[in-house]
Amino acid sequence: MQTLPYSALTNEHIGHVYELYYAAFERFRKVPEIHTLVDNDKFCSVLNHTLKEHLSVIPKLAMGVLEIQDQIGPDQCDRLMTTLLRSRISRRVIAEQHLALNETFNSPWHFPNAPKPKRDGTASATTAAEDDFIGEIFLKCNAKDLVEKCAATATSLVTKAYGSDVAVPKIILQGHLDTTFPYIPSHIEYIIGELLRNSIQAVVEQKGTTEPPPIEVLICEAQQHVIIRISDQGGGIDRDILPHLWSFAKGPRRHKRLRNLATVPRLKATMQELEVSKSQTQSHASSMPSSANEISKNYASSLSSLSSRPPELRLGMGLPMSKIYAEYWAGSLELHSLEGYGCDAFLQISRLGNKNEVLSTRASMDAV
Amino acid sequence: MLSLRAVARHNGFAIRSHRLKAIGTRHIQTATVTDGDIARLAAKPLHPLTLADLCKFGRQPLSTEDLLNNANFTLSILPSRLAHRIQSLRSLPYIVVANPNVNKIHNNYVHSLSTLLPYAERHIETLEEEIKFTEAMADLVQTHSNTIAILAKGFLEARKYISAKEVTAFLDEHLRARIGTRLIAEQHIALHFSSQPHHELQDGEQHEDSSYIGVIDTELKPASLVRTCENTVGEICELRYGVRPTIKIVGSPEATIAHIPMHIEYVLTELLKNSFRATIEAGMEKEPIEVTIAPAPATQAQTAALKAAKRDDERDQVLQKHAVGVISNYDQGSVDAASGGNYKPDVASSPNIRPLENSTPGVTIRIQDRGGGISPENHAKLWEYGFTTFNEDEINDKTSSGGITALDVISGGAGGGSSLAGLGYGLPLGRAYAEYFGGGIAVQSLWGWGTDVYLSLRGVGRVD
Repeated sequence: MQTLPYSALTNEHIGHVYELYYAAFERFRKVPEIHTLVDNDKFCSVLNHTLKEHLSVIPKLAMGVLEIQDQIGPDQCDRLMTTLLRSRISRRVIAEQHLALNETFNSPWHFPNAPKPKRDGTASATTAAEDDFIGEIFLKCNAKDLVEKCAATATSLVTKAYGSDVAVPKIILQGHLDTTFPYIPSHIEYIIGELLRNSIQAVVEQKGTTEPPPIEVLICEAQQHVIIRISDQGGGIDRDILPHLWSFAKGPRRHKRLRNLATVPRLKATMQELEVSKSQTQSHASSMPSSANEISKNYASSLSSLSSRPPELRLGMGLPMSKIYAEYWAGSLELHSLEGYGCDAFLQISRLGNKNEVLSTRASMDAV
Repeated sequence: MLSLRAVARHNGFAIRSHRLKAIGTRHIQTATVTDGDIARLAAKPLHPLTLADLCKFGRQPLSTEDLLNNANFTLSILPSRLAHRIQSLRSLPYIVVANPNVNKIHNNYVHSLSTLLPYAERHIETLEEEIKFTEAMADLVQTHSNTIAILAKGFLEARKYISAKEVTAFLDEHLRARIGTRLIAEQHIALHFSSQPHHELQDGEQHEDSSYIGVIDTELKPASLVRTCENTVGEICELRYGVRPTIKIVGSPEATIAHIPMHIEYVLTELLKNSFRATIEAGMEKEPIEVTIAPAPATQAQTAALKAAKRDDERDQVLQKHAVGVISNYDQGSVDAASGGNYKPDVASSPNIRPLENSTPGVTIRIQDRGGGISPENHAKLWEYGFTTFNEDEINDKTSSGGITALDVISGGAGGGSSLAGLGYGLPLGRAYAEYFGGGIAVQSLWGWGTDVYLSLRGVGRVD
């Protein structure tokens, strides 16, 4: 960030973010090498603290980028955001993974050498829930469950916002419904949640209260990847907006976005907001296995505040953020619009789990 | 009620040339083409053509004056386009152009230019001259009708001396420009045959109100084109495989746009060929292929602005302001990579050529099949010219000795469009046609399930 033009950093939001990172760097470099469990615990609390502090980074960055768009061209802004967010994801993944593993290690029912306990006392021995988790990564993300869960969340949000008499389109699943793949649940839920939410909103806003056409979700499984296609009939994407779809530096709708971003929770990072999001995380996590519940309670993911915002708060970040998350693990997100009819989103996830994380190339990192 | 003429237009050029020959095989005047001529003509920059340009001389039947104006307009833009092509060909490596096939194409272009040079400085003032000019146009179309197959063969034979990437780059530009030159020529011919003076000469049938302007149908219904192509390709499938898939049309089947039926038919046929073949080979022919037709409305900003503008001239200003989609020179092959610094910015300086207004209604056609998708290895080569996954021998007999080359397929299937696949030109050429007037093709493969193809087309816009 130090290589950005000076004018960028005079913007208060970007300046604030820079200060946050600087402080974190100072803190981390003072942590000595870890030799004992006690050291580890201290390190974990430092991690925890830093993570909480940095929860507001995303909205701040987004606001800052929108504001400095005039001095620094939109292309450079996009590149900056993309690079920063990607490296942020990687740092948080590493940090959260360590914390999660730490949790599992410390949790009362974790005995590394004990035989697996039976669940619910039923006769058949099913694998314990925690085997499916390695830290943050859920090995058996079931595509169908994910979609249904995100659909339920998105639907309830929309109903709350527009009133309960609005007809919400049904979501129809087809394809290979038993597909499972390893992934980090919060990431994939965010992506699918955003996409479904966009679709539902488009359909609701277009059709009003008449019988809305359903949204079709197709799950396609291949050896090396899983593709999820979400097709809606929400009228497609306006030609004016199409070039700016993936950009953080939005074209025609900048000012509205800016105002909306200012009201996103978590922006002020006060204690009350932390409470709010904690309870929300709990309710979201209710359908996940119980051990995961314990883990995710302890640190609120920054994504949850973004996902649970009311739908009329259009931040303009859902698509570019989802794209970054999708591409982070060597996947892809593409959108095709049938203007006047609807939209198809294609999310491709690599399921081998052996692809390296995709950060920027060395060249562009140095440029930033 | 379909008139004979409309059918003739739909079936292509055959009937027209027959008629011309019936008039009498007058010898077409030619002049020798010098290098100086070529250099001079190629030095002029090319401006993108819009469908509105082709229609601007009015709806048919054209009066004499309009017809002559059209002839002169055509005359003003064709020679430099031909010259650009010649220069582009000439900058290919010598050994490539020495190949007899490629050489033939080069000579064809020089010949065509020679037929136009006699008109070089003159204006077409009389009907007689116009008739001769139309013959020259017909000759042009006829000569170049088989360019693609011949060029393909030529490049294949010369593949040791030129890389695939260079071939793709050259063909991308060349074939797009070719679309333009043929279109201009065919448009003039079509307008000629439906003009008033021609009627008087022929003492012909009563001409009813047609939605056609030359080769452009202003009330083209994509749904009916889809059904037509479905039949054609379906028959080929039945011949070859014994089964044929069906198509289900959803969306707005009654949508119409203004476009060129021949082009769209070509693109749809190619796309359906791919879909049908994949569907049958995956054994899914019971599942219908879904085709969605989505007409595009005007953009939000524009509709709002149009509502606010009350007077006519204000409306015009709004439409001008929202003329976002200036068709780039690249789309129409008018940037000569070969000629180097001829490139001028995409701004039309001639009042004759208007940018495509953003208000032009368009249509997006989505074709979804369950043919198993495109494998990741093939996906990378999708848009290459001459790449095909079609292996005839695999289907016919298993005793073939290692794969056949595209050359065999071309020479074997050169009999016409009765083969289902094999040239490897369908997708790239289809995309060229779609992009020519600001549309496009996007292919999304779901490996293990099927493929979705999005064909977007822009129309003519307001034709006054």
